[in-house]
Amino acid sequence: MIKFKINDKEVQARSGWTVLETARQYGIEIPTLCFHESVASSGACRLCMVELREENWSKLVASCIYPVSEGINVYTETERVQNVRRWIFEMLLSECPSSKEVKEMAKKYGVFKTRFPVQNPNESCMLCGLCTRVCEEVVGLSAIATLDRGVHKKVGAPFLRPTEVCVACGCCVTICPTNAMRSRIDSVRSNTKMQLAKAA
Amino acid sequence: MESNARVGVFICKCGDKIEPFIDLNLLQDKLLKDQNINYCEIMPYSCLKPGIENIYSKVINQKLNRVIIAGCESRLMLKKLEKELEPLDLKKGQIDIVNIRGHVASVSDISSAMKADKSAKLIKASAAEMVSLAPTIQSLARIEGPVMILGSGFASYTAAHELINNGFDCLLPSEIIESDFIINNLHLKYPGEYVYYDKLKLIRKELSTSKHVSAIPPGELIRLSGVTGDYKLTFSENDSGKEKSYKAGAIIACIDSDLKATDAEFWYDGQKVICQTEIEEIIQNKGIQEGKVVFWVNDYEAGYPEFSNLSSKSAWSMAKHIRELHNRVEVIILYNEQMQIPLSAEERSIGRKLGILWLPYDKEVRPSIQEGYITVCNIKDHVEYDISWDYMVLSPERKLYGNTLKTAQILGLVHKDGHFLAGRHVRVRPEMVGREEMYLAGSGKYPCNLNDALAQGYKAGKKTSEMLQKSKACELYLPRIVCAVDPQKCVGCGMCQELCDCGGIGAIEGTGGGLPRIVDPMICTGGGTCAASCPYHALILQNNTTDQREARIAALSRELSGSEVIGIACAWGGLPAADNAGAKGLKYDPRLHILGVPCVGQLDPCIFARAFLEGAPGLILIGCNPDECHHSYGIDHAGSRVTIIKKLLTMCGFDRRRIALAHADLNKPEEFIRTIESFTKTIEALGPIERNSINISKLESIYGLVKDNTRIRHLLCANLRRPWEHSYKGEPRHALEYDRDFSDALTEELLNTRVLRLLRLYNRPTMLQELSSNLMVDKKKVGERIWDMVNEGRVQYTHKDSEPMFIAHA
Ligand code: SF4
Ligand code: SF4
Ligand code: SF4
Ligand code: SF4
Ligand code: FES
Repeated sequence: MIKFKINDKEVQARSGWTVLETARQYGIEIPTLCFHESVASSGACRLCMVELREENWSKLVASCIYPVSEGINVYTETERVQNVRRWIFEMLLSECPSSKEVKEMAKKYGVFKTRFPVQNPNESCMLCGLCTRVCEEVVGLSAIATLDRGVHKKVGAPFLRPTEVCVACGCCVTICPTNAMRSRIDSVRSNTKMQLAKAA
Repeated sequence: MESNARVGVFICKCGDKIEPFIDLNLLQDKLLKDQNINYCEIMPYSCLKPGIENIYSKVINQKLNRVIIAGCESRLMLKKLEKELEPLDLKKGQIDIVNIRGHVASVSDISSAMKADKSAKLIKASAAEMVSLAPTIQSLARIEGPVMILGSGFASYTAAHELINNGFDCLLPSEIIESDFIINNLHLKYPGEYVYYDKLKLIRKELSTSKHVSAIPPGELIRLSGVTGDYKLTFSENDSGKEKSYKAGAIIACIDSDLKATDAEFWYDGQKVICQTEIEEIIQNKGIQEGKVVFWVNDYEAGYPEFSNLSSKSAWSMAKHIRELHNRVEVIILYNEQMQIPLSAEERSIGRKLGILWLPYDKEVRPSIQEGYITVCNIKDHVEYDISWDYMVLSPERKLYGNTLKTAQILGLVHKDGHFLAGRHVRVRPEMVGREEMYLAGSGKYPCNLNDALAQGYKAGKKTSEMLQKSKACELYLPRIVCAVDPQKCVGCGMCQELCDCGGIGAIEGTGGGLPRIVDPMICTGGGTCAASCPYHALILQNNTTDQREARIAALSRELSGSEVIGIACAWGGLPAADNAGAKGLKYDPRLHILGVPCVGQLDPCIFARAFLEGAPGLILIGCNPDECHHSYGIDHAGSRVTIIKKLLTMCGFDRRRIALAHADLNKPEEFIRTIESFTKTIEALGPIERNSINISKLESIYGLVKDNTRIRHLLCANLRRPWEHSYKGEPRHALEYDRDFSDALTEELLNTRVLRLLRLYNRPTMLQELSSNLMVDKKKVGERIWDMVNEGRVQYTHKDSEPMFIAHA
């Protein structure tokens, strides 16, 4: 058993657990966005940041990928953590301003507006990559990917055209935390019998 | 029924997503009282490392062999849990996830105690199913070479090459390996693909000297029997006419479609107005030194716009070749403005340098050809103008015919729909697909260029090699959820084979009728409509059987009260729609209880009848839209099975609206909610079915009839063919006439069943009058049925005071 502290409370974990997993086991809430239980963590969004403190130093780590170790001191609600969180929410509000889900979550953490310029007011995807991960890891396919379109990345099927690779299982829609995949899925899935008509 | 099943339930708190909404302690109490559940625990998160490790140790300590997670979407989560718990020997079907988060916690505002109650019903139903699961033993698949590569398509070269590189033996048609004849005629199948000649010739040489390759003398495939791992292929040899058989462990079909010249409709004359394959022959034989060659990519006009890309690509490649050899020849490619030019930026610039002209024409005006000229309409000003030509080249027609088609037929590759072999519309997760994708390579599957065909061959070779390697290492297992035939029960009616779309069902030997069928587990996708239709229950979907489903639905139905209903949702339409409704926090009528199934087409109608028998007031099936059904015609077949229940409900005086089939799109959870709310309203208005003895006896008769009456099951099965399907053998009957006869048969058999049931119950000589008044059916009608059954030997009679008395045959 590995012993350490979260918010000064003694906790126990086994090697291989992450800080986030341990915190959740003890009912300590840490907000996450790009994390989902069904796929491997990617540590992309940094919303799950927590502070590690020693006597004379401290650092921020992403709790969803940070492994536990003996004697560490984890704090989930320090000022630094809250600042980063606010900053991330502000970034998100500028990157995917049209997502109701992101707005609600930001509100919960006291963020209502952003200092950053809004690129595209209709964007709701925050490029967390959950959709592509679930397609690959759970469904076993690679129907969608993060497409590089110059400066602006985008999630979708290659060339943004319906692809026969997609089996239209909808896992990506279910997992998407911002609801962005809902409007995107129709440009990914192709109709089975439409393909048939083509072959007929 | 496995008596030693030990079921453990792990309930998730899931942070603020489940615990605040459902009274979990109450839920745990209820579950612990269930006789099927041996262990139950509430956990913070079942799916994270700490949770999984806990489940792991509980399975060991408590000797559990069934695990139910009361959590969220099994579509997302099951794979992870199966993987993590794999070392415990929990196989497919021994772990289930009930989505209490998305189907109970978030979707309504009822109290947390009521939600605990609803969750308990769903979990207990799952436990009942788990207890009735009798897991099959995990058996190894034994597949050894050689691999038969059939069809003489170009993909044969890459497929065989890949196999011999991996050290596996293959059998190839002699024409493929013994000379360059096939390769020299490449242009007949794939015009314009010059770059491949040398590569293919090299491969051929290598094959011809490889010790792993054996040649099959020229002949025609006439028979195939056996399953993956143990095939027998019989050929009739061209020279001797003798039959010769070969054994093979696997088959790869490499089939190219044939290219044919279009007919006079496009002014084809075979001299100057020719097909792409013919210009290629001219280029190769005498070459073109001067003049003007016009390629008309006429696929839009010929009715195949989808092939315009292929045709224009071949045209481009030939145009390039012509111009590279002789720059005095002028080349133009004419195309319908709707087409997109399929060239990369680099190819475009090469084309510009070579001076190849791409000319679009107005899609509204069909070009017309006269001697030396073609008239097309300008897309800018809509004025027609003429382009002169010396050679006019048309796109080919792509077809499968003759021997190729016959071979494909024998291999079971010819599909009901479509002219090409890629007609399979099972569209499921990769692990559910049988060997389908590696079985077939080449443009016969679906028109493609040579590069694609060779890549398909390579892939087929690679996947087959992997399979053989796995088998060699004793790591290849038969899939868990596939159909299997009980040869003792199968009468060889062949119904299943006709309905099955994955092509995995064959006869044990030969192809004829009367022979027991056999399922190739390596091809079966586990769709299961075949199993649901077998009149004799000879075909079952292993580890996902009708018995399991019945147990689940019966357990749930017994617990329903008032106008609570069951919704059976398929994994591709209804279930994701429900999951998405839950995940997005939408609210709907809490009386709906959702059961997920892989496909509504795999449900035997006796499952529906069982729900009513056990007390469900209403049952709605929520599948995909017919055009999006992932298991070919599963949803249509489900429709026919719902119809028989509707007919029977009506005949028994119940409301036929108690069962309904609905369609959902995963991305339209709001519409899903409209669907189910309209159904719950209907059932609310009807109220529950009164549980009096006459109603129960009617429901028992309905259940007995659809489950055990082979005549009705046969008729139902034949009824699954829809009037607009023309590909079944024999002359189809008029659908409405058939339906009328079917209803008559149902009326007859229903009354038979009811009479027999009663006679068995009484178990003493009974008078007609008594039967008639008890069944509340006219005496004359009962009389007709009973004398029929006397003639059939199902009922015996005696006389008492010159009145006939009846008793059921022992
Ligand atoms: S579509 Fe959704 S799941 Fe995919 S990257 Fe965007 S926000 Fe994430
Ligand atoms: S719907 Fe298509 S893109 Fe989305 S997860 Fe399923 S297969 Fe992948
Ligand atoms: S399985 Fe689902 S419901 Fe259970 S803890 Fe994990 S995410 Fe939550
Ligand atoms: S439907 Fe049943 S009885 Fe008929 S061939 Fe198939 S398995 Fe045999
Ligand atoms: S939740 Fe940890 S980085 Fe996104």
